[in-house]
Amino acid sequence: MTPKKTPNRTELLQGTLDMLILRTLLFGPAHGHQIAKHIQRTTDDVLQVEHGSLYPALHRMERKGWIVAKWEIARERNREFKYYRLTPAGRKQLLREESRWRQLAAAVATVMWPAPGDQA
Amino acid sequence: MSARNWIRSRFCGVVRRGHRAKELDRELESHLELEAEEQQESGLPAEEARYAARRAFGNTALVKEDVRAIWSLVWLERFGQDVKYGSRLLRKNPGFAAVAILTLALGIGANTAIFSAIDALMLRPLPFTAADQLVRIYSIQKGVFNTFANPDGPSALDVRDFAQRSRSFQKMVAYDTWRKNVSFGESAGQPEQMAVGLVPAAYFEILDIRPIIGRLFSEDENQEGKNYVAAISAQLWRNRFDGDPSVLGRKIRINGEAYTIVAVMPDVIPAWVEPGRDSEIWTPFPYPPDMWSESGRGERGYAVLARLKPGVSVEQAHADLSVIAAALAAEHPVDQGVGVAVKRLADSRVGALRPMLYLLMGAVSLILLIACVNLANLLIARNSARQRELAMRAALGAGRGGLVGQLLAETLLLSLLGGVVGFAGAEIGLRALARMHPENLPQLGSLGIDWRVLTFTLLVSLVTSLLFGLAPAFMGTRLNLVDALKQGGRSGTPGGSSQRVRSLLVITEMAMCLMLLVGASLLVRSIMRLEGQNLGIRQDHLLRGRIYLPPVRYTNPGVRTRFCNDFATRVRALPGVIEATVTTVYPPNNGWTQMLVIPGHPVTRIQDVPSAQFGIVDQDFLRTLGIPLIRGRDFADSDGATSPPVALISEKFKRRYFGTEDPIGRKIHIGPPQSLQIAAEDNVTDDVDVTIIGVIGDFKNAGLALAPQPQITVLYSQHPLVNGGFKDIVIRTAMEPHRMESEIREQLHELDSDMPLADVRTIDEIVEAQTGGQRFTTVLLALFAVAGLVLAVVGIYGVVSYLVTQRRQEMAVRIALGASRGNVLWLVLKQGLEMAAIGAGIGLFGAWAGQKLTSGLLFGISPVDPATFAGGAAFLLAVAAIACAIPGARVMRIDPAEALRQD
Repeated sequence: MTPKKTPNRTELLQGTLDMLILRTLLFGPAHGHQIAKHIQRTTDDVLQVEHGSLYPALHRMERKGWIVAKWEIARERNREFKYYRLTPAGRKQLLREESRWRQLAAAVATVMWPAPGDQA
Repeated sequence: MSARNWIRSRFCGVVRRGHRAKELDRELESHLELEAEEQQESGLPAEEARYAARRAFGNTALVKEDVRAIWSLVWLERFGQDVKYGSRLLRKNPGFAAVAILTLALGIGANTAIFSAIDALMLRPLPFTAADQLVRIYSIQKGVFNTFANPDGPSALDVRDFAQRSRSFQKMVAYDTWRKNVSFGESAGQPEQMAVGLVPAAYFEILDIRPIIGRLFSEDENQEGKNYVAAISAQLWRNRFDGDPSVLGRKIRINGEAYTIVAVMPDVIPAWVEPGRDSEIWTPFPYPPDMWSESGRGERGYAVLARLKPGVSVEQAHADLSVIAAALAAEHPVDQGVGVAVKRLADSRVGALRPMLYLLMGAVSLILLIACVNLANLLIARNSARQRELAMRAALGAGRGGLVGQLLAETLLLSLLGGVVGFAGAEIGLRALARMHPENLPQLGSLGIDWRVLTFTLLVSLVTSLLFGLAPAFMGTRLNLVDALKQGGRSGTPGGSSQRVRSLLVITEMAMCLMLLVGASLLVRSIMRLEGQNLGIRQDHLLRGRIYLPPVRYTNPGVRTRFCNDFATRVRALPGVIEATVTTVYPPNNGWTQMLVIPGHPVTRIQDVPSAQFGIVDQDFLRTLGIPLIRGRDFADSDGATSPPVALISEKFKRRYFGTEDPIGRKIHIGPPQSLQIAAEDNVTDDVDVTIIGVIGDFKNAGLALAPQPQITVLYSQHPLVNGGFKDIVIRTAMEPHRMESEIREQLHELDSDMPLADVRTIDEIVEAQTGGQRFTTVLLALFAVAGLVLAVVGIYGVVSYLVTQRRQEMAVRIALGASRGNVLWLVLKQGLEMAAIGAGIGLFGAWAGQKLTSGLLFGISPVDPATFAGGAAFLLAVAAIACAIPGARVMRIDPAEALRQD
C-alpha cells in the first residue's frame, strides 16, 4: 500500500513548483540542489523548496518529457551531478503554465484590488 | 508524450526499478553532500553539518517512495503484491489450493476440449481460397431437405441446365466417387480398393487446388476412351512411390485398366468433404455417350460442387436455382416435385455432429457451472474462516477495495492455475479422443489446439474468477470489525446469509448434476439397446470382406458367378473356416430396394408398386449367417443357372404380401410391372419370375435404428441382370476372425492378383462403426456426468462437514440431554438430504426441459423415460446421503463432556 501524501507538504506549491523549476532551467542545465537554492535565493527565502516535493516533481517532469537528465561532472568541483535540462516540450509547457499563472494572478488581483471605476 | 513512450517508460520503470533506485540514491546523496558542505561553510563541524543537512532535507525514504511511484504502475505493483501474498497463502494451505485448482481444471479442461471440437468443426476457416463462395447443390424431393441423412444429388442434365441458365455461379461441377480396384504395379505393393473420384478439371478449379507436379485434366479427357489419365494425392505419392518426381507418366491399373499418372495433388481436401469416400486418386469423368440424352434426366445422385460469383449470397443463389428447377419440373415429367437446395460447403463440415456438439456444449457448461459453484462455496467458507484476519487488516487501515482486491487476486491466481492444469488435461484428453475418433466422424481428425482455443481457455478462466470470486469476496469483506475481532479464539462463525447462499449453491449443483446424470444414462441405455439388438443372425465369429469384379476382366454374369463360387469354395476349404458365402446382403444394412409384381397386388401408380429389400446370394447364405429357415426349403446346389429361379422371403415379407396364405410355391416377378414401362437397367433392377421356396427369419436390413423390412433373397447365378461386380464375402470362422484375414487374402490373390480384399471387418465391428458417433457422444457425456457427480459430491460434503463443525457444541448438548446417536446423525443427514432433494427436483425439471437436446440422439427410449429419471434421482440422493454420512459419523463420535469443555 502506498502511503498517503500529507497534503500541506506538496499542495503548497502544487502547480507552481513545476513552473518555477522550468523557469529556473531556462538559464541552463542545473542539478536538484542548484534548482532549490536558486528558487530560494531569487525569492529572498520566501519560497522554500521542500526536497520531498522537489525530487518527485523533477522525476515526474522527466517522465512527461519536459526535462531530460544526465550525469555530468561539475565544472567547479571534480564530481558528478545529475543535471536536468529543458526539452522543447518543456519550453512549451513553461509558456503554457506562465500564461495560465498570469491569468490566475490577474483574476485574483481583480477580486482583491478592484479598480475604482469598477465598483457599482 | 506518445502512448508508446508512456508504456515504455512505465514498464521500464517496473523492470528497471533496481537501477533507477540506485541512481536516485546517488542523486540524493550528492544533494546531501552539497547541503552539508554549505552548512560547514557557515561554521558547523563536519559531523553536525551532516545531521543538519539531513534534517533540512526531510524524510529521504518518503522521497524515494514518491519518486518510485512516479516511475511505476502502482496498481500493478500492488496487484503483484496481492498475488504474491495470495500464492503464499495457497502454499500454506495446499489442501484447499489443490481442491480448488482441480475443481476448476475439470471445468475448464472439459470446456476447452469441447470448444476445440467446436473450433475445428465450426469456427476454423476452411482450407480453401474464398471458402464462403463454395457451395453444394442437392436435389430435394417434395421440398424436404433431409439434413445429411441421404441428400440426393441432381442428375447430370439438371446440372448442365443449372449451369447454363443461372447467373449466380462462377463455376459448377458434377462429379462422382466409386470404389475401385487399384494396383500400382509389382514394385509398389498390394492392390487396394480405393475411392476414386471421377472429376472434371473444374472440380479442382472450383476448390482452387493446383497440382504439385503435373497438370489438370483437359476437357478432352472427359470423353470415354480418352479418360485413361489419373491424378494422385501427395500422400499416396509418398506412400506408394516414395515421392519420386518421375512418377508422372507411370501407369497404375484401375479396375483392370491402365491409367497414366499426370498429376500429384496436394493433400488439402479434408476427409469430411467427401465423407466416407475421401479420394486419393482422381480420374476424369468419362461421360457415357448417352449421358446427355434426355433419358438420363432421372438419373440422380451426382455430387455437385459450385463456386458462387463474388457478392452473391447463398440465398440469392438458391432463389436463382429454384426458379430454374421449377421450370425444369414443368418441362420434364421426371423432374416433377423435385426441388433444389444450396448449402455452404462449410456446413457439411459439422454435418451430423451438430446435435451432438450442442449436447456436449450444454454438458460442459453445466460442469463449469458446478465447478464454479464449488469454488464459490469453498471461497465463502474460507473467507468466513478468515474473518479475523480480514478484520485485522481492515482495522489496520485497509480499505474495502483493498481487501476485495486481495481476495480477487487469490481467486484469479486459482483460476489461472486451474486454467493451466485444465488446458493440459484437455490436451491429453484430445489426444485420447483423436485415438477413439470414430471413422464415420472424419471431421474429428482435425481436432487440435490453436490460438482460438487458448484465448477461449484464458477468457473462461478470467470470467470464472471474476464471476465467482467477486461475490464471496464482497461477502467476506462485509465486516463488522468489533464483532469479528471480539470473537476471540473461535474461528469466525458464518453469518446466516453466507450459510443460506452456500445451501443454494449446493442445491444448484445437485440440480445440474442430475441433469447430466439423466442425459448420460439416457444415452447409455439408448446405445445399449441399439447395439444389443438381435440382428436376426448368429452374430459371433463373422468376418466380412468386400470385392469388386471389374467388367473389363469379368465380362459376363457367368464369369462373375464362377469367380465368386471359386473364391467361396477355396475359402470354405481353409482350416478354421466353418462356412462362407458370397452375398450382397447381411445385417445390419442392405440398401437395395427392388420393385416386385406380386399376384393379388395390382398397381396403377408407381408409388403403389410392392417393393422389398433385395439380396443376391449363393447357396450357403442361410447356413453361414445362421438365419433360421421357418418353412419350406433352403437353396440347394441343384438350384443353378439352368434350373427354375427360386427365392427365399422373410417373415415380414410373407405377412405383408401373403397374409395368412401359404407363400411356398407361389410365383412372383422381380422387377417393376411392365405396364408402368420402367426401363430395366443394368445393375439397378431385375426382370425375372421366381418361385418362393422358403420363409426365413427376419433380420436387420435397414440399419440398426429401423425394424427389419420385408426381404427377398435370390441366387445370383439365376439373376444375370443384377449379377454385378460388387460382392461381399461373409465367413464364419472357428477362431478369432481377423486371424483368418491373411489366408483369405492369399486365396483371392491366387485367383486374381489385381483384386484387393477390401474393408475386412467382423459384423460386430460393422455394428460398432455404425454406432460410433453415438458411442462417442455417450462416452463423453458419461465422463462429464461422472465429473459433475464428483464435483457435486465434494460440494455437498464440504458444506455438510462445515455445518457439522459449526454445530459441534449444539450436538454435544443434544447428546448430553439424551438424544441418541442415531438422532444426531439424522439431523446431519436431513440437512444434506434436504438440499439434495430440492436440487434433484429442480434437476428433474431441467432434464425434462432439456429433452430437445437428447431426443434426436436416442434410440428406443423416450427422452423423458420415467425409469431413467427416477433412477437418476435415487442414485444422486444415495450418493449425497453417503457424502453426508461421512461428516455425520463424526457427529456420532462426539464425546459431549469433551466437546462442551472446549469453549
